[in-house]
Amino acid sequence: MSEDDEDQSPASDLRSQRPCSPNKSRNCISSSQTFPDHVLENVLENVLQFLDSRCDRNAASLVCKLWWKVEGLTRSEVFIGNCYALSPARLTQRFKRVRSLLLKGKPRFADFNLMPADWGANFAPWVSTMAKAYPWLEKVDLKRMFVTDDDLALLAESFPGFKELILVCCEGFGTSGIAVVANKCRKLKVLDLIESDVTDDEVDWVSCFPEDVTCLESLAFDCVEAPINFKALEALVGRSPLLRKLRLNRFVSLEEVHRLLLLGAPQLTSLGTGSFSRGDQSQQEPPDYAAAFRSCKSVVCLSGFRELMPEYLPAILPVCANLTSLNFSYANISPDMFKPIIHNCHKLQIFWALDSICDEGLQAVAATCKELRELRIFPFDPREDTEGPVSELGLQAISEGCRKLESLLYFCQHMTNAALIAMSHNCPELTVFRLCIMGRLRPDHVTGKAMDEGFGAIVKNCKKLTRLAVSGLLTDQAFRYMGEYGKLIRTLSVAFAGDSDMALRHVLEGCPRLQKLEIRDSPFGDVALRSGMHRYYNMRFVWMSACRLTMGCCKDVARAMPNLVVEVIGSDDDDVNRDYVETLYMYRSLDGPRKDAPQFVTIL
Amino acid sequence: MEGYSRNGEISPKLLHLIPQGTRRNWFHDDQASVYNTEEKKLELKLGPPGEDEHEDGSSMLRHIKKEPKDKSTLSLAGKHFSPSSTTNKPTSQKRTAPGPVVGWPPVRSFRKNLANGSSSKLGNDSTSNAVVLKNQKCDDDNGRAMTMEPKRQGGLFVKINMYGVPIGRKVDLNSHNSYAQLSFTVDKLFRGLLAAQRESFGEEEKPITGLLDGNGEYTLTYEDSEGDKMLVGDVPWHMFVSSVKRLRVIKTSKISSALTYGNGKQEKMRS
Repeated sequence: MSEDDEDQSPASDLRSQRPCSPNKSRNCISSSQTFPDHVLENVLENVLQFLDSRCDRNAASLVCKLWWKVEGLTRSEVFIGNCYALSPARLTQRFKRVRSLLLKGKPRFADFNLMPADWGANFAPWVSTMAKAYPWLEKVDLKRMFVTDDDLALLAESFPGFKELILVCCEGFGTSGIAVVANKCRKLKVLDLIESDVTDDEVDWVSCFPEDVTCLESLAFDCVEAPINFKALEALVGRSPLLRKLRLNRFVSLEEVHRLLLLGAPQLTSLGTGSFSRGDQSQQEPPDYAAAFRSCKSVVCLSGFRELMPEYLPAILPVCANLTSLNFSYANISPDMFKPIIHNCHKLQIFWALDSICDEGLQAVAATCKELRELRIFPFDPREDTEGPVSELGLQAISEGCRKLESLLYFCQHMTNAALIAMSHNCPELTVFRLCIMGRLRPDHVTGKAMDEGFGAIVKNCKKLTRLAVSGLLTDQAFRYMGEYGKLIRTLSVAFAGDSDMALRHVLEGCPRLQKLEIRDSPFGDVALRSGMHRYYNMRFVWMSACRLTMGCCKDVARAMPNLVVEVIGSDDDDVNRDYVETLYMYRSLDGPRKDAPQFVTIL
Repeated sequence: MEGYSRNGEISPKLLHLIPQGTRRNWFHDDQASVYNTEEKKLELKLGPPGEDEHEDGSSMLRHIKKEPKDKSTLSLAGKHFSPSSTTNKPTSQKRTAPGPVVGWPPVRSFRKNLANGSSSKLGNDSTSNAVVLKNQKCDDDNGRAMTMEPKRQGGLFVKINMYGVPIGRKVDLNSHNSYAQLSFTVDKLFRGLLAAQRESFGEEEKPITGLLDGNGEYTLTYEDSEGDKMLVGDVPWHMFVSSVKRLRVIKTSKISSALTYGNGKQEKMRS
């Protein structure tokens, strides 16, 4: 499960690109005349290879030119938070022995259709450059990138030791690309397709894995909207002794899961259960599903339930006591169905569900799951005008019962300031707080006031908060609180909020750690944009759509900040002279504006 | 909301909803640009037939007042969208919620179809026609061949595969008005690919014709919401659009066998 998991440390790969402009007097080379350079390099290499954390490595690379060079030689895992922040050539020039790449592309609002398709974030230039530079590449982890079948084919052919492919929220490829990877990557350990749009090319990719024993440890294809060859899957599981994580798609029925569990249940630690409904054999006596789950002695993570037949849900009871992670977010489960299950999940730390469990279900979670760290409640019916089965009552209960809560995503129709204030006091460990009151501009439905005080309390009392998403009726006051107290905030999401430019100014002037800012449909204009110019080089990106920006101001910013790429995205009936800026997306870049921008993107 | 029944069925006239100029209301309120006025003439708003159309979406206010009462004793449903609560703000700032909007609530497309009952085993792919009404313009809008505008709503993308061509494509049915148009698009999409597959030497690309009348080498078929396979062209266009789930171009000679076996694809995979 990885919907928007955030990286822990600030991404400042870019800062270390300066090849030691400071402090020539501290240059190690000149001060150590007694040792030949290459000896020093070797020593450094042997030491620096133990540095894992990105932050530490970035810091080490700033010490002096030698350290910069050696760090570049020894960094094996590279993280690039914005694929347009640098070119592939720069990557391969700086880092020579990369084994693992984590690359992120489109901004998050692209998931909600706020950006046309074909905007970019193509994997192609990266894979073709790396194919020549990193023959020993083992791992590629992409998020929101456009990956084609050809890219996957090139990847499969170019890296003989390739082990892990993880594609999160990606698109542009299909089952034919997956088939090539399955077939050619003989050392493949991990093939995780997560929330990606995979075209059904009607290719039997499961049969494409090599015939002998595989190295597979993790296979996740729950997002693949295409039937699979179950016999081939069964055979594959049978010859994958190292398989620990298996996440099936909704074309796998309960009977088939049952058969798979009989094969390999004891080793599995993570299971995605597929449809969790019976196939065509409704007449026959169902097999003993509970027995199959009883044999899942190691399963700690359970997901799936894509087309749940609720009468079979109790079959999972045997594993509940061990579960640390449970994802019901595709299952329309009522409180009565839910309570007997959750009652057993004492060790649960991560829980995702639909709001169909209602406040009542949340109260049951609060009563049992004392170890809960992460909660995500998604709307079963994501419209603005419905009654809404969860509310401040559920949130209040959670805050009282789950004191260790660190991460929250909560969709609801109504909320109150009181519940947020309570949560801010009860859950001091919160680092991620994302509340989506689906009705836009909704005030506290009990007092009628804006939601300022509630969110204010969250930023003030949750001292570890790094990620915040706000909603409901919010005035500039809420943003004043954010600027005053949100000192650790790195990611901020704003929609339909604020009254004036001052709101955005508070944030830009007050939040020193802000990295990612995404704003839509809020009345922030040129004054606000200009007030942040001292920050933009220290941020990964700024997104502002349907705000009040003018072309003139955006051009000014672009002119004043040459290393900032300022993209204005509009539809083709906006011409460049039109003053209104529909969407602004800007980010720092070492290699200037990209060459692959489509027609509807104007780079200022 | 009037005109929208709970089980997700929509009357066809509401398929193309939502004023395009909605999101720009803040900025362009006072600018009566030709573009906006003409658009507004063509748009269909949510509401019963014969209701007056107001510029700033105040017809929505009437709907809001009919909201079901929530659990709290103080029912403030009527106040939610009242502009009077923000009288100190400039009037060009639209505090009312003028209607469903792209990308709101911020839920990814694969999570949007749960309320439509995707529990059919016959493989509903994630395109759902009814979702057009749910402030989401389309689900499978990440189709590679299609570009789309962020403001425009109502794109309805269905997958289309053609016999002999390994790569599937996607078609936006809402940008078509007739079978003839659709047939033309199919020809455009696949002509080149088909020629490439045939590896013909020096032969020109042949247009794909006769998709609808049984006279061509290929015929257009579709799978409806119940999983049945049908020939395209028999029902009125709007009925077709509201029930089609997926398109397939098959060889005309294979029609009878292709349409007889229901779960064709799944049977093949499972054997």
